[in-house]
Amino acid sequence: MTKKKVPFDPKSLKFLTAVSSAEYSKPTLKMGALIASVFDASHGVVYVGERASEFHGSSVNLTRQNLDNWNIIHPGLEVLEWALQELKKLSPENEELAKIQFNPDHVYEEDGRVRVMLPDDKGCRIELVLREGELVDQLRKEIQLEGYDLAIIGGSQNKRHLAHSILQYLPSSIFVLQKFNPRKKYKLLLLVDDSIATIKSIEWGALIAEKLGWPVRTLTVSKTKRFGAGYQGAADKAKAYFDSRGIEVEQFFLTGDPVRTFVEFAGDNHFVIMGASTLNPVKQFLFGSKPIKTLEQTDVPILIVR
Amino acid sequence: MNSYIDILFWIRQKKWLLIALVYGMLMHHFVTPPPDLNPAAFDALIIISMALILIVTEPLPLPAIAMFMLFMQVVLGIDTANNVASSFMNDAVFFIMGSLMLAVAIVSQGLDKRLALGIITLTGHKTWRIVAGFTAISAILASFIGEHTVAAMMMPVGLTLVRYAHKDPRKVAGLTAALLFSIAYGATIGSIGTPSGGGRNVIMMNYWAEFGAGSVTYLEWIKYVYPMVLFQIPFTVFILLWTFKPEQSNLDSAVRKLVVDVARAGKIKGREWLAIILFFLVFLGWVFLSEAFGLGIIALLGVFLYLSFGLVEWQELNRKTNWGVILLFGAAISIGIQMNQTGAAEWIAHVIITNLGKVIDSPAILQGSVSVLLTGVMSNILSSSATVAVVGPIVLDLGGDQILIGFATAIASAFGYFTAVAAPACTIIYSSGLVKSKDFLRAGWKMGVLSLVSLLGLSLLWWPLL
Repeated sequence: MTKKKVPFDPKSLKFLTAVSSAEYSKPTLKMGALIASVFDASHGVVYVGERASEFHGSSVNLTRQNLDNWNIIHPGLEVLEWALQELKKLSPENEELAKIQFNPDHVYEEDGRVRVMLPDDKGCRIELVLREGELVDQLRKEIQLEGYDLAIIGGSQNKRHLAHSILQYLPSSIFVLQKFNPRKKYKLLLLVDDSIATIKSIEWGALIAEKLGWPVRTLTVSKTKRFGAGYQGAADKAKAYFDSRGIEVEQFFLTGDPVRTFVEFAGDNHFVIMGASTLNPVKQFLFGSKPIKTLEQTDVPILIVR
Repeated sequence: MNSYIDILFWIRQKKWLLIALVYGMLMHHFVTPPPDLNPAAFDALIIISMALILIVTEPLPLPAIAMFMLFMQVVLGIDTANNVASSFMNDAVFFIMGSLMLAVAIVSQGLDKRLALGIITLTGHKTWRIVAGFTAISAILASFIGEHTVAAMMMPVGLTLVRYAHKDPRKVAGLTAALLFSIAYGATIGSIGTPSGGGRNVIMMNYWAEFGAGSVTYLEWIKYVYPMVLFQIPFTVFILLWTFKPEQSNLDSAVRKLVVDVARAGKIKGREWLAIILFFLVFLGWVFLSEAFGLGIIALLGVFLYLSFGLVEWQELNRKTNWGVILLFGAAISIGIQMNQTGAAEWIAHVIITNLGKVIDSPAILQGSVSVLLTGVMSNILSSSATVAVVGPIVLDLGGDQILIGFATAIASAFGYFTAVAAPACTIIYSSGLVKSKDFLRAGWKMGVLSLVSLLGLSLLWWPLL
């Protein structure tokens, strides 16, 4: 069951970062840790590995148990061990985190997943989880089980064709780190319209901008030259909200196809934040939605707030 | 809103189940069977094609697919509940059940450390000799105790050597692949050597009996097939060294560390001797008593002895045995028998012969090439044992010598070199995360050619002499 959370209750937000390997997931994990610290959220790290065909599943399990006797750990646990070491490096000031030791023998199988027990975790709120199976299915199960508010997924795991499934079926906000470069200075680009989800995305955007010090732009796109009261009002409210928090914001109003305009404007130096679609799920399934199409077409990091 | 998403997600996850069900309903209700195919045979073919869709795409757990195959036979009126139940359980299923349990019992004894020491003593420190030793030992052991057991025991030895050779196995990718594939391909080429090498061999023996083709003893099987195992070993070593080119030609330091590691296990203990003796007794039972008692019954007797002597706990066997696979093979053999009894297998064989007979003149070449190619291709998509369970009844109806066609099919079912799903040994090394799908293709096509040439040589040069 998904647990309902009050947004920005500092100790109640839960973020989940999906990692695949030490080779490819370093930027994802780094951003995941940064965002979790920005929101003071607890941080789960999940590795989703391939599941062996059911025909040979028991032979693979038998081999793995035998490998344990030789102190050779499951490849997924190796990735989680690496993730814990990386998290320690990213927060050298965190003494509590530094005390946590990874022990591959301290794992606990429950609800179709393997959870690494961290006995020395004194309030660091770190979870390390190993799952096997199809990516979207396993992430959905993990998010539902633990009630995560945000799932952070690397661009390599996005694989564009999964964009539809990720946005339609994962019951949390989604942050996809496509071509994310931790050394690059991004501008925060908020896509503003009159939907309910925009309000929440503005709140998330303001918090990120405050903590990271990134310049903020808002973009409102209308299909016609006339901007209705709803769009204008939403843009004004967004500006007022940022002003109230002392954050400077540049406003842009453009005309054209919304998705194409978002993508062209975002270029390669923006970090996009937009609200999730409020369309009926069946319509989204059949025709897609603005966030789905934007995610499919853009190459920049994108946060879709639900 | 959420319930809509749940329904859509269920559809996404189960789309192949829905496709299979719609396909089955359309075929049953709207397609008229060909005039020379009776309705029961047509329904048997519908069930088996639906089951194939479900097995390949896995929208359901294997036991659910097994149950589907069983109840559909009764629901569609192909046979009565009692007849379906009696065709479900036979000696081949006993053998699969017994060999899966024996694998758990043997692997849990920790004999792999002795095995590691034995291999290293034989091969020395040179990489090519270790690859050759791994291939040969895996092949010979797998021919008697099954490839999944051998791969489970050899994997730690291979991985330990790799890790001692370099901290990061990815930096010695060639060495890693050569060692792991020597285990997988060695076990795979060995698994054809005797009936106990793989469940598929026993399934074929069961079909021979069902089709009235006669029987083959354990020793006769060895006489027909083992030369191919021995012939393939050196060529497999050459292919692996040629394809993966190990970065280190000598594993001196890694071997020394491995020896220190395994030496900690101390001298061989009484319980380990007992485990070896019991397996030897099972082996003798397979060789000398299987005609009277059946291979499956002897495997179960072996499990009984391991349990009686306290070498393995029932809880451990229960937890680690893949009951889903046992159910699935029972159901697959049951529908295979229906394919024979309803005439469905004969009809497919007739269609193949009629159509391909226009292209290939010689019946012997036609029968051989269809059985080998069909089995070889399907085993890379399904799994080797499932392929024999499905294809067996068809190829035995192609005509010609059913025993020789059966041998060719059982051998070709081990040609699953191209993917990680075909053979348990291949899935096991793939699960290490250290070999990639493309590695299976790089070495697999060469192994495929080797095995095809070896089988051709065996059938043309060796079998006529017997």
